[in-house]
Amino acid sequence: MRRLRTWVVKMRGMFGLQKEDEEFDAEVREHLELLTDRFMGRGMQRKEAVRAARQQFGNRTRVIERHREGGMVLWMANLSRDMRYAARQLWSNPAFTVVMVLTLGLSIGANSAIFSVVDSVLLKSLPYPEPERIVRVFLSGRAFPRFSLNPFDFRDYRQRSKSFESVAAYVRADAQLLDGGEAVRLNGFGVTAGYFRVLGLKPELGREFDETAEVPGSGSQVILSDRLWRTRFGASGQIVGQKVTLDMQPYTVVGVMPPGTQHPGNEYHALAYGESVDVWRPFTFEGNPAHRGSHFLDGIGRLKPGITTEQAQAELNSVMAQMAKEHPADEGWQMLVVPLFVEIVGTSRRILLVLLGAVGMVLLIACANAANLLLSRASARRREVAVRLALGASRGRLIRQLLTESLLISLLGGGLALVIAVSAMKSLLSLLPLDFPRVHEIQVSVPVFVFTLLVSIATGVLFGLAPALQASRTDPKTGLQQGSRGGVGERSRLRNVLVISEVSLACLLLIGAGLMLRSLLNLIHLDPGFEQQHLLTASLTFPKAHYKDDTSIIRFDDQLVATVGAMSGVQFAGAGSDLPWTGYDENAGFNIEGKRTAPHEEFHARYHMASPDYFRALGIPLLQGRFYTVNDNKDAPQGVIINQAMADRYWPHEDAVGKRITYSNTPKDKDWITVVGVVGNVKDKPNSAGAEPAMWWSMDQNPSESMSLVVRSETNPQLLTDAVRSAVKRLDPTLAVADIRVMDEIVNASVASPRVAFVLVGLFAGLAMVLAAIGTYGVIAYSVSQRTSEFGLRLALGAQREDVLRMVMVQAANLVVGGALLGLVLALTLSRVVKSLIYEVSPTDPMTFAIVGLLVIGAAAIACYIPARRATKVDPMIALRAE
Amino acid sequence: VAMGERKSEVLQGTLDLMILKSLQALGPLHGFGIARRIEQVSEDVLQLNEGTVYTSLLRLQQQNWISAKWGTSEKNRKARFYSITKRGLKQLQVETENWERISGVIGRVLGLERQG
Repeated sequence: MRRLRTWVVKMRGMFGLQKEDEEFDAEVREHLELLTDRFMGRGMQRKEAVRAARQQFGNRTRVIERHREGGMVLWMANLSRDMRYAARQLWSNPAFTVVMVLTLGLSIGANSAIFSVVDSVLLKSLPYPEPERIVRVFLSGRAFPRFSLNPFDFRDYRQRSKSFESVAAYVRADAQLLDGGEAVRLNGFGVTAGYFRVLGLKPELGREFDETAEVPGSGSQVILSDRLWRTRFGASGQIVGQKVTLDMQPYTVVGVMPPGTQHPGNEYHALAYGESVDVWRPFTFEGNPAHRGSHFLDGIGRLKPGITTEQAQAELNSVMAQMAKEHPADEGWQMLVVPLFVEIVGTSRRILLVLLGAVGMVLLIACANAANLLLSRASARRREVAVRLALGASRGRLIRQLLTESLLISLLGGGLALVIAVSAMKSLLSLLPLDFPRVHEIQVSVPVFVFTLLVSIATGVLFGLAPALQASRTDPKTGLQQGSRGGVGERSRLRNVLVISEVSLACLLLIGAGLMLRSLLNLIHLDPGFEQQHLLTASLTFPKAHYKDDTSIIRFDDQLVATVGAMSGVQFAGAGSDLPWTGYDENAGFNIEGKRTAPHEEFHARYHMASPDYFRALGIPLLQGRFYTVNDNKDAPQGVIINQAMADRYWPHEDAVGKRITYSNTPKDKDWITVVGVVGNVKDKPNSAGAEPAMWWSMDQNPSESMSLVVRSETNPQLLTDAVRSAVKRLDPTLAVADIRVMDEIVNASVASPRVAFVLVGLFAGLAMVLAAIGTYGVIAYSVSQRTSEFGLRLALGAQREDVLRMVMVQAANLVVGGALLGLVLALTLSRVVKSLIYEVSPTDPMTFAIVGLLVIGAAAIACYIPARRATKVDPMIALRAE
Repeated sequence: VAMGERKSEVLQGTLDLMILKSLQALGPLHGFGIARRIEQVSEDVLQLNEGTVYTSLLRLQQQNWISAKWGTSEKNRKARFYSITKRGLKQLQVETENWERISGVIGRVLGLERQG
């Protein structure tokens, strides 16, 4: 009971009744005071006077309570009366109600669905404690604006920087687990001490690595993910301290992370954000601390409270400047500190906001349609409104009554919207690319319900207000006269404005969808530089324990390529360090014989390894020189194959084949590497404009720890999957074959983002067009029905049916063409919004604009033609008699 | 009228009417003022629990027949002043006519009985 009372008090506070109560108390007090004074003026003692005043006033508490209840009860009574009345109105007009609730439900539902993505990705904070203090740390140079860190540089920042509570570095380091005779590849990272402290996470069992684990040869340790611990180790509580075998070597389990340990994202061999990591092992600082040239670590840090990103960056820069004096390789680098949140959601921000904008426009169109419907119904209800006004209803009450009706409709729509949003979520998620940030966190949650409720209320007010205001302006006298047309002019002006805005918004959305379609087609049809069909790919990593030296790796590579190449149905089989468009980005600097760089610059290129048939299998054309052969082995002089971009960059107007480069600053004869061939460019990413310089070493001369197999098949490459798996198993049963994929899948994954943008914007644009067409139809049909007698008169006076048709169509054209033009102008002004989302198509692409303009006008013409034809069918006699 | 005699209770509808009339006649008044006015014109015939004035004032406000505004009382303190609205004036007219008609009828009925 007391709780109910507090609740009532709270509610009263919400509706501004609290202040009213206090004021009334004061008023009563003042009254009693004055009465007391009056009695004292008649010679009473104060005490006596107070008693007399109270008596004369009557039961004070009851008066106050009555007053309080009176306000509340009246308010509630009005509300419930309005609700009942509105429900009766809707019930008596089911077609109207169903159409309204359906269109609103669809549009609000689409908004809720998109909002749940926006909420989960952009609004919800990251799943770490105090996530705003976590930042990513990069190097930044002229050629590479975001670059990875050097391990020994990192160790110096960690020691010298004072901005961070904790700072850590990590690098992708997958592991292989033998489980019941089957080799499985695990997603793994090498992390420095304090990595989890940066994230603010604590192992559920055991502890995290300390700095002693970073010393090479300090004993192998591992931290397991919750998932791995449950699926492969039976969730054993005694796991900490036990040994597990990874990469054919024993590792001691020092900890198990709790469920929900999210990977913060990484640059190199990027792994999707989310609970994607299986194992963490200590990163060990190997090699000579004086060598600062190689960069492969991702940096992450937790700022001390009160330190800003800018302060941390400035401080790191001063540390870096100091280090540049000690190590020449550190010269010319700046530091870049980016909040983790920006880093994770940065790229998806714009597309989400554009989608939210698009779906918001759909809702506006639906509102305009609903307002239009209400307006035409208001004409039918003029008599009812007039009667109510004549009977003494106040304008405010009438507006409130009509708004209650539209609110009831929009709330019903909102309920439907939630059902739609929840059921559309699955398809929406399957559309999103797997590497979309935070995709696993997306769900319909409480904020989405609140959003839907608020949007429903706003929608109800938005589409209900104008019709309600107009209805309340009805003059009770003229309104009561049968068939009166008073106020029609103003009403139809409002309806025209609504149609024009609907058409223009639909036009804007269609242009957006058109641009995205063209951009998607550009991406799909663009020449990637290799042939993506009929390609099967797989990747392998060689555990150091088994493959101790280069020779063993080379032997395996050669045997596998030979075995697979000899299988029937295989055209070419090759091996390389990586595949196009999988995020590989290893770079190296070098010297070129007879050339000098500008100061503070270096010759650099991305480096890969390739077997003889790697290029043939991928379908990358040879432009000059030759591919590798089996003879390009350890005994042969070192060669390198470069791409066209590298030839153009470093040997413009020259023949690159036969030129020599070296990694040594003081090269001896054997240090020189000769360019043996030039191959065509492969775009770095599906949507990059061109290719950066790249070079391939012979795999037989520089084997890599992990290899990608490329198989060009004569038929469906999927048929070769089992054969490739068993070929690997026959050669080495302990090796895990990972990522067996058809190249088409990689290509598809790479255009997933532009595809989802197009599909969703296209869907919204289609919905918008249908709604706008319905709206246009409604207005023209209404105006035709209003002008029936006029048409009848014209026909009776000898007008041709075509004349009537033309009259209606001209009226419609004025609205539609106006709306379309407005839409095109809007699209022009908003063009820069989509600029970064589209590829090789101008945001003001004339073709898209022209087609959309015609499409909208065509659709509207069809929508108007139906009522226009009805106008020509008017029977003059009947039409005139009706008047 | 001597003390101890029974005073008539004020009917709810009539209190509303009296308040409207007072506001029409005297202009804006606060609750205390209204109570004094009714006391004065009723010449102590009617017994009024002054608190009920406020219940009545609320009802009249909700019907939009009177409006309220904050102002300063004679003693220079903040007080709420009520004044009659246009609608209220119309209502007063209607009610007055009603009252006259009904009291006329009742008067006639009672008069007839006395004669009979």
